[in-house]
Amino acid sequence: MERRILTGQLKRFQREHPGPPVQLTFLPEGSYNSQVQAAALAQQLPDVLEFDGPLLYRYAWQGCLQPLDLLITESTRTNLLPSLEQQGTFRGHLYSVGVFDSGLALYGRKSLLNRVGARLPDRPEDAWSVSEFSRILEDLSREDPDGQVLDLKLNYQGEWFTYAFSPALASAGTDLAHLGSPAANRVLSRFQDWQSHGLVDPDLDDAAFLEGRVALSWVGHWEYPRYSQRWGSDLCLLPLPDFGQGSRSGQGSWNWAVTSNCRQSGRASEFLEFLLEDRQVLEMTAGNGAVPGTLSAIEQSPLYREDGPLRLFSIQLTQGWCQPRPATPAYPFLTSVFQQAMQDVLHGAPVSRVLTAAAQDIRQDDLDNQGYR
Amino acid sequence: MKNRSAWAMLAPAAIGLVLFVLLPFAASLVLSLTDLSLGSPNPTRWVGTLQYRRLLVDPAVARALGNNLRFALVIVPMQTVLALALACLLHKPGWRLAGFYRALFFAPVVFPMSLVAVIWRYLYAPGVTGPLNRLLAGVSLGHWQPRDFLHDPQLALPALMLLSLWQGVGLQMVILLGGLQQIPGDLYEAAALDGAGPLQRFRWVTLPMLRNTLVFTALMTTILAFRVFDQVQILTHGGPAGATSTLMFELVRSAFERLQMGRACALTVIFVFIVVLLTSLQRLVLGRLSR
Repeated sequence: MERRILTGQLKRFQREHPGPPVQLTFLPEGSYNSQVQAAALAQQLPDVLEFDGPLLYRYAWQGCLQPLDLLITESTRTNLLPSLEQQGTFRGHLYSVGVFDSGLALYGRKSLLNRVGARLPDRPEDAWSVSEFSRILEDLSREDPDGQVLDLKLNYQGEWFTYAFSPALASAGTDLAHLGSPAANRVLSRFQDWQSHGLVDPDLDDAAFLEGRVALSWVGHWEYPRYSQRWGSDLCLLPLPDFGQGSRSGQGSWNWAVTSNCRQSGRASEFLEFLLEDRQVLEMTAGNGAVPGTLSAIEQSPLYREDGPLRLFSIQLTQGWCQPRPATPAYPFLTSVFQQAMQDVLHGAPVSRVLTAAAQDIRQDDLDNQGYR
Repeated sequence: MKNRSAWAMLAPAAIGLVLFVLLPFAASLVLSLTDLSLGSPNPTRWVGTLQYRRLLVDPAVARALGNNLRFALVIVPMQTVLALALACLLHKPGWRLAGFYRALFFAPVVFPMSLVAVIWRYLYAPGVTGPLNRLLAGVSLGHWQPRDFLHDPQLALPALMLLSLWQGVGLQMVILLGGLQQIPGDLYEAAALDGAGPLQRFRWVTLPMLRNTLVFTALMTTILAFRVFDQVQILTHGGPAGATSTLMFELVRSAFERLQMGRACALTVIFVFIVVLLTSLQRLVLGRLSR
């Protein structure tokens, strides 16, 4: 879908902006990073590159990318979602722009939540506190045939665990770099409690919420089409629970950058500006369902504008209720360690032992890389 | 002249071995003494034996190695015995269905492990609806409490063993069948004339004649048990809490997920060392036996 739209947009770009031709190459997503690393070693990176947001800091640190500060006009930059500007910024320079962004929320079944008398917050500042959330889960569980009422999409793999659950660390006032902290311990213990009390559906078939096995699903904007089609007006969208310092959603997605190989930065900048025009942004996000990456496009999006059903995601992204993944070249290491820690804890390993070891690994990696200077 | 043509004939295999086995291994050996981090702009430094010293005290590595050993200790005898039993059952010259059953038992070997893993993920599904849970509940007349096999610290490794057994036994069976077919029929006849029953013929004819084949299959299984990776990566990712991590899994994760090339190279060297040790052990045992 994204590929077809992008191919069409590129044709239009060539028509409307005559100049040196732009050639599009798609790489298989599974081995994307290793292919880019190989191309970088061989000095054969393309002029412009689209890749998953959190890889940016490593690429920039390696010197693969050039800053966009002078390549993107001021008006385009201020029109960009603040979350995307944050994702694209490394050590004071903007390196990437995104056509779309993402977000997390709890999808709920109103009928089931009303039965246990839960209130239905629709703005991040009214989010359930984490103890309220735990109580609601227990209440729901008593009414549920198998007791499992929460879907954490444990069937997803890899990056999902960091994307979905590290914002909870921020919500408790800590982050991936401080896994040894008491706050991190409290957060992961909560997840372990929900799991060990049998409240979480393993969701092997990716259909726990669709089949009505659970009342709540902790997942991203991308599930809206399936969920709304299945449950219609019984579906509600709630902010993630507040672990103490306010609700926090994940953010970030694939974004565009210009490599240091690029000799035609004028043309590259023309192309990025074109991709960020309302027409292209709206066309792409209508296709892939993601949150439009610019403020002007959001206001024209039927799903994400003022009274759209997914407004919560726009609010989270534009008003600071999101937590970007840490802007460090150590990210590939951090996320690997956190994914493992999260899974170990969900499987019942002692939280403090897991987190102490993880924090130790991260400290050692930082030392080994001389602080990633 | 003779020498030159010998070299020429050796060349295709030798060049391949040098290029794709020897050189990469030599590179690993050198890189294992550095702190190379994949794609880091920092200069790579010599760190001597630091990587090895760290690996020796790393509980995760000890855990992985322990899992490999446990895997080998269970899988090698079980798989060999099972393969031998199947081979003996199917070794009936002139039986029409033999070909069908042989193909049936061999089929899982042809499947890629990724496919096998996905199938078994469904069989191991937790809860009352999981096929294996349902089966166990059925045979125990409802006494079985549904378990989450792949996420249970006690059951995860045995679960991986079971599916590896199912996937791997066919290959050994075919090799053992080949061995059985090479045993001359007159040996059995002579034994029968001397009054040996089926069990005695198996003990005193089949087993000794099959010895080399058995040692070979056992060794092959041992080496395979040390490079278990696919099913771990796909089904458990080393979890729960390291219960199913293996040397190969640690190695791949170090290199390509955590970008610690130096550490991964040191693990490679240790891995090759273990395999070489096992192979020389086999040569030693075989040499002893045939004397």
